[in-house]
Amino acid sequence: MKIGVYRLSVERAEAPSPTRVALGALLAVALALLLASVLFWTPESGPWAAYRIAFGYAFVNPSGLGATVHRAVYLLLCTLAFLIPLRGGLWNIGLPGQVYAGALAAFAVPFWAGARELSSGTAGGVALVSMPLAAALAGAALGALVGLLRAKLAVNEILVTMMLNSVMFWLVSDFIKEGGAFMSATAEGESFTLPEVFRPPLPLGLPPSAFLGLAAAVVVDFVFSRAAAGYRVRTFGLNPHAARYAGIDPVRVSLWVFVLGGAFSGLAGYHYFAAVPGLYKIPTNYGYYGDLSFYGIICALIARGSALGAVPMALLFAGLSVGGRFAQGALRLPFGVDYAILGLLMTTFVLSHLVDRYRVVWQRAAPAPTSAPPRPEGAR
Amino acid sequence: MTPELERRAPAPVLAARGITKSFPGVRALDRVDLEVAEGEVHAVLGQNGAGKTTLMNILFGLIHPDEGELYLRGRRVRFRSPHDALASGIGMVHQTRRLVPAHTVLENLVLGHPGGRGLLDLRGARREVEALCARYGVHVDLEARVWQLSEGEKQWVEILKALYAGVRILILDEPTSALTPPEVQVLLRALRALVDRDGVTVVLVTHKLPVVRAVARTVTVLRAGRVAARLVVSDTTDHELVQHMVGQEVTLPAVHTPDHPGPAVLQVEDLSAYNDKGLLSLRGVSFTVHEGEIVGVAGVTGNGQEELAQVLAGLRPAASGRVRLLGRDITHLPTLDRWRLGLGYVPAERAEVASVAALSLVENTGLNYHFDPEFCPRGLLDRDRLERLTRQILATFRVKAPHPYVRAQHLSGGNLQKLVLGRVLSRRPRLLVAHLPTQGLDVEAAAFVRAQLLEAKARGAAVLLISEDLDEIFAVSDRVGALYEGRFVALVPRSEADPETVGAWMAGSMGRPA
Repeated sequence: MKIGVYRLSVERAEAPSPTRVALGALLAVALALLLASVLFWTPESGPWAAYRIAFGYAFVNPSGLGATVHRAVYLLLCTLAFLIPLRGGLWNIGLPGQVYAGALAAFAVPFWAGARELSSGTAGGVALVSMPLAAALAGAALGALVGLLRAKLAVNEILVTMMLNSVMFWLVSDFIKEGGAFMSATAEGESFTLPEVFRPPLPLGLPPSAFLGLAAAVVVDFVFSRAAAGYRVRTFGLNPHAARYAGIDPVRVSLWVFVLGGAFSGLAGYHYFAAVPGLYKIPTNYGYYGDLSFYGIICALIARGSALGAVPMALLFAGLSVGGRFAQGALRLPFGVDYAILGLLMTTFVLSHLVDRYRVVWQRAAPAPTSAPPRPEGAR
Repeated sequence: MTPELERRAPAPVLAARGITKSFPGVRALDRVDLEVAEGEVHAVLGQNGAGKTTLMNILFGLIHPDEGELYLRGRRVRFRSPHDALASGIGMVHQTRRLVPAHTVLENLVLGHPGGRGLLDLRGARREVEALCARYGVHVDLEARVWQLSEGEKQWVEILKALYAGVRILILDEPTSALTPPEVQVLLRALRALVDRDGVTVVLVTHKLPVVRAVARTVTVLRAGRVAARLVVSDTTDHELVQHMVGQEVTLPAVHTPDHPGPAVLQVEDLSAYNDKGLLSLRGVSFTVHEGEIVGVAGVTGNGQEELAQVLAGLRPAASGRVRLLGRDITHLPTLDRWRLGLGYVPAERAEVASVAALSLVENTGLNYHFDPEFCPRGLLDRDRLERLTRQILATFRVKAPHPYVRAQHLSGGNLQKLVLGRVLSRRPRLLVAHLPTQGLDVEAAAFVRAQLLEAKARGAAVLLISEDLDEIFAVSDRVGALYEGRFVALVPRSEADPETVGAWMAGSMGRPA
């Protein structure tokens, strides 16, 4: 395209700079909110009232902020669960199932301790360690099954994980509904409430799983950028043939990424159902929380595989889902606007990725003396 | 055209004149003429890369020539697409299958049939196809799903498809490469029936002399995109054909072969392996490579070379037999342990297997070092050290790259190949397996790579060079051999063979005694 003496062209860009990525993310958020403002338009108030209420609740209101942070930690753990296999080129769509496995395993600890009827007692620190551990192990076991099927029999991991999600959904139902092992005393289709002695302490108002999640994000990024193990996973993810050539064992990679991914999902299940004030049980609508875990996929994809980069994403998604739901109730907005915002956000982020792949180049159309640096000979 | 051929040949039914076709960086066909007489099998013979498939794709309308004309029964034709070629009665069976795997054989045959008018007459189609099968002695279950068939059966489905569509000129591109020997016999019999009884004209692309001998009346030999000869098969010898295929006499540079070979580094005993299709494509090969020796293995792609290289590298399981590296049995050892023991492997697919396109050159160097404690102290990659080594490789191997952090995908084929070779040789391997190391390289880069092989040998490495290029094999090898259908036709000291003889071996003929 020619404009005056300038020629405008679109070229494929190399990897964009971090500043550009951050800027693109901010623009994507702004665009999504602008588009969503149509949904928030009510006769009584403009969209800004809705946004003020949503963001005010999610990020300022103390109880809302607490809910946002807890949900963000949950999403971060789910993000790690998806991101680790993704770096190995594998898709963990089994986040809900692994979350359920973690929740069930966590509640099995007090159940076996006979603590269901306990209202007080001395379970001690052992239980506080064993609950998250059991949750992580259960998620890891479920992941290991997927990883092994993938590695040994080349069974598609997406299908397996999705089917396991259904299996685990109904398994939870069997445990908490009437007659189930974890049924609540009043048989309301939810699990028994976690006795107080099994609830973890909340330094700074956060359960230990929150600190674990943040630390894990740091470690995961470090391992993928510096460690030989992370290099092997990345290589396998980018080119399995080259990985085999280099002596990287495909079975080990597939198995370990799913074991670790499953463990993080399991921890997420522990975190949300057994470590965060407000629930301390597997509620009737546990399916909602399971579905929420899929936002981990979106976070990981938007953050382009960076665990720390996913932290602000997780906070944003958590805040919008918590605040959006609140604003919906406060302003009597139609059902589902919170999902609509999240959906728009995903769309604009994907758009920003697409835009990043290209760059617009302005050139003087007049054949000015070439001052461009010569192209390196080996490049093409 | 030789006078003799002119005298005997009836008017050509299909002719190509002055066909030239260039692809970026390579002239695939250079003023090629082809004449095929009605009701004969005309073979197009040549080594890999001679331009055979390109020429056939032009005859079938798949690609368009830069220059030149096509004539059908004396009339100039222009094929915009295969559809035009089919409408003119020309069908082609490609090297790779083009069928719908989930459909039945009959459904595949009906698909795209020119008589189709939106409604399928499967019953009528079945009668016609069954008659065709009976006529040519073919047994294919028409209700079987294509994915259940063997390669040979699938090929038959494609041939039937062409015949069912009423094709009078049938182009077959390397039809025997995926077949077992009994299947080849059935195919050759059917081709004779097609031609002799029904007057169908067949253009048969191959690099196998026995196949040419068995069915073809005339042959066009292509070499490096040009017509090397056009002959009547019965008037020529295998020796003559090979000479046209391979080219002129080659002058040999001096390769110093020590009188007494060093100790054995690689010992292979009765080794067999299956290919990806589940066919036994390496059938009991035995050989030894000694320290400071280059063994050159010739062969046309698909005769077991790839499987041999992969089994040696631990990337493909051995079906039977034994492999020893420095006296140790490594038959079942994982790839990583082989690298540690001193294997160096340069695979044929430098971009797909030997490197990761999206990673930097430094990280690609990691492919050969991620297991080396010196480069990964405490499990962490020492990036500075990898970068230093990469810079060193770039300099020594004259790789043209802007900097060591450029992605591998930005290197040209020759530069990537030099980089891969440099990476592998930087490990100072005891055994180097190099598969098609100069494929697609320009003369200068190829010469450099060969010089590096000789240098590795001088350092005491045992080198197994697998190549299709006879000049290359004779330029560097101490011993030469050829694989044909998974077996060594022969493996002898270089002084006891010449390129022509080895060329005959590659084509499955014992050739004249050297």
